[in-house]
Amino acid sequence: MNQQSFIANITKRLGRPMPEQPPEHPYRGAPPFWREQTLARGADRDQIIAQFIEYWQDAGGDAHHFASLSEVRSYIVQTAAELKAKRLIRHRHPLLDQMSLEELEAELPGADMTVWDGERPQEMKNRAADADIGLIVADYAVGATGTIVTMSSTGQGRSVSLLPTAVMAIVPTSRMRASLGEVMSDISAFGIERIPAGIHFISGPSRSADIENDLTIGVHGPGIVHALLYDG
Amino acid sequence: MKTDRAATVKERAKIALNDEFLRNAVKLTTERLRGGRLAAAEQQGNWEQWRERGMQIRMHTIAHLDYYLNEFAENARKQGVHVHFAETGAQAVEIALKIALSKQAQTVVKSKSMVSEEIHMNEALQKNGIESIETDLGEYIIQLAGEMPSHIIIPAIHKNRRQIAELLSEDAGETLAPDTAVLAGYVRRKLREKFLQADIGMTGCNFAIAETGSIVLFENEGNARMVSTVPKTQITLMGMERIIPTWEDLEVMATLLPRSATGQRLTVYMSGITGPRRSDDGDGPDEMHIIILDNGRSLQLGDPEFQDLLNCIRCGACLNACPVYRHIGGHSYGSTYSGPIGAVLKPALNKNVLEWDDVANASSLCGACYEACPVKIPLHDMLVYLRRRKNEAGAGESAEKWQMKGFKLVMANNRRLRAILKAGRWGQRPLVKDGAIAARIGPLKGWTAHRHFPALASPSFRERWPSIQRELQAEVERAGEVGRSVRERLQRYRNAPQERREGGDRV
Repeated sequence: MNQQSFIANITKRLGRPMPEQPPEHPYRGAPPFWREQTLARGADRDQIIAQFIEYWQDAGGDAHHFASLSEVRSYIVQTAAELKAKRLIRHRHPLLDQMSLEELEAELPGADMTVWDGERPQEMKNRAADADIGLIVADYAVGATGTIVTMSSTGQGRSVSLLPTAVMAIVPTSRMRASLGEVMSDISAFGIERIPAGIHFISGPSRSADIENDLTIGVHGPGIVHALLYDG
Repeated sequence: MKTDRAATVKERAKIALNDEFLRNAVKLTTERLRGGRLAAAEQQGNWEQWRERGMQIRMHTIAHLDYYLNEFAENARKQGVHVHFAETGAQAVEIALKIALSKQAQTVVKSKSMVSEEIHMNEALQKNGIESIETDLGEYIIQLAGEMPSHIIIPAIHKNRRQIAELLSEDAGETLAPDTAVLAGYVRRKLREKFLQADIGMTGCNFAIAETGSIVLFENEGNARMVSTVPKTQITLMGMERIIPTWEDLEVMATLLPRSATGQRLTVYMSGITGPRRSDDGDGPDEMHIIILDNGRSLQLGDPEFQDLLNCIRCGACLNACPVYRHIGGHSYGSTYSGPIGAVLKPALNKNVLEWDDVANASSLCGACYEACPVKIPLHDMLVYLRRRKNEAGAGESAEKWQMKGFKLVMANNRRLRAILKAGRWGQRPLVKDGAIAARIGPLKGWTAHRHFPALASPSFRERWPSIQRELQAEVERAGEVGRSVRERLQRYRNAPQERREGGDRV
């Protein structure tokens, strides 16, 4: 069936002509009280960060707040050593580029780091599937839900936050928002020209309660997720 | 639960009621989910305002569905999506098969889609020699068992750990311990291979955003992300009413849906997919198809009693709140959609008089579904409308018709009523013990099989009324001044509902 007759049937059933102008949408987005609350909360950054950490941990993730990038780096290396990680994969992102994570041989003997390259799709997917740890930089984080947001691009494969056993996400606190709505407004503003193909909101480790209501972690996605907040 | 062969809700319910494990499992699960919803709503605060906004957005969208669906299709196409329209389930299946055959697909991995269940996609793929694998843990289990989901959110609610271990052991070709971590670990390993080798990923669609042509998926396991990230071709099945106008509206849906479904602040993954991968992206599908399905949905449009049915966001809160669902479980409803929403959706989508007769009666009309619904669909009213239409279509039971006629005959005349009550009091004598009837006879059996029936009182309230009225009058006069203030207060209370009806409860 073609679009025209499919839509025409809907118009007929609704019993009026097809609107030519965009309909007035007076109920767009969250209720007004919530927007006011979001604005008010936005002023208190420490509180938003504390809320994010609480909710992220509540969902079963690890969250730490660091003062500098070198502290973040030490934590990554230390955790990789604890997890006995051999294969790592990361997004190509300026923050990660400047951490010189490719020279890990001295600190993690035998460890191998892959940098995501959109030009080599099949190889990248395979490497992500084999990886112990995926490293990403969050494009946004949301306090009200304890969520990080990652958007796909040539340097930011979706697989990096999905296929490895563990994922570590660096969250610059400048990217922290009080509520989901602020992220939604930005996405809306991208418009159809600039919107990324994959926008992923992640709120903790993969989970399921499908077997007798018994919570299982790491069903298909990563079971270990670290949020590394950093004031940058 | 072997309820497939039973023909009616009553028969299927009887089988379910005799399954002790099932009753306990359904009770436990629905109570956990219901408790989660109530706690999450409380924590979020101003829940009524969120519900009201959710309802407004859904009503607005459905009222302009032609416009928004057009906008969505145009924008999705601009992103490089192949958009298909299917009037019936069979058409949707045909379109999907055509795509699969043109790709010479051998394996399709699927994330949860109620539409796919609705149109029996798996059977069609398998009939054409294409392996079709459900990848949600619960869906994988019921696919192995060859059953339908019995709950919209927890599809394998009716299976215990031992049964699941047996199914998965057979699948694995080795004995797996009935331990959640072992069983889930097996499914993770097994499906990981399938994700990587599958030719096609098939998803459902929780919401479709008109302004950018994006689809949005809510899930906890990560399998929907797998299905939309790894295979080269993605097919998304979408009910035509899944539309919301903008990303900002998604904040409201994201606030309502997970909280109403499981009590989570947000599902672990919420993914917005906009078209196939960009040319320099390393992953995501090369080719993306969206199949938009009507299959009886448009029949609700323009119907003042049922249009709101299309507002449903498939959270399952009404199942968890329903006292009937809690006892009989999902399979008793005999369709893809169960619980109160299923009881309305099934006959409404099918416009089938005979089926109205059946599932629409599986409700006590208590309204718990409406109170739980995040977009305020008056399901209990719709069940009454269905029953009325059934009667108007002449499909009512003749016994019920005669009972109603008899009721009218008796109630329309006070002398007749008095005579009948008197006769009844006399007639019940041999059956009454301690003010109640326990005998399982005649039309009383349906009730007395499980509980006592109260005996007709002597004297009846009607007979006592004149003396009660005198006593009340005397009391009011004795109270004097106090009585006046009581009267005034009563007057105020009596007016209150009127004020509420006129808009006091709107936010």
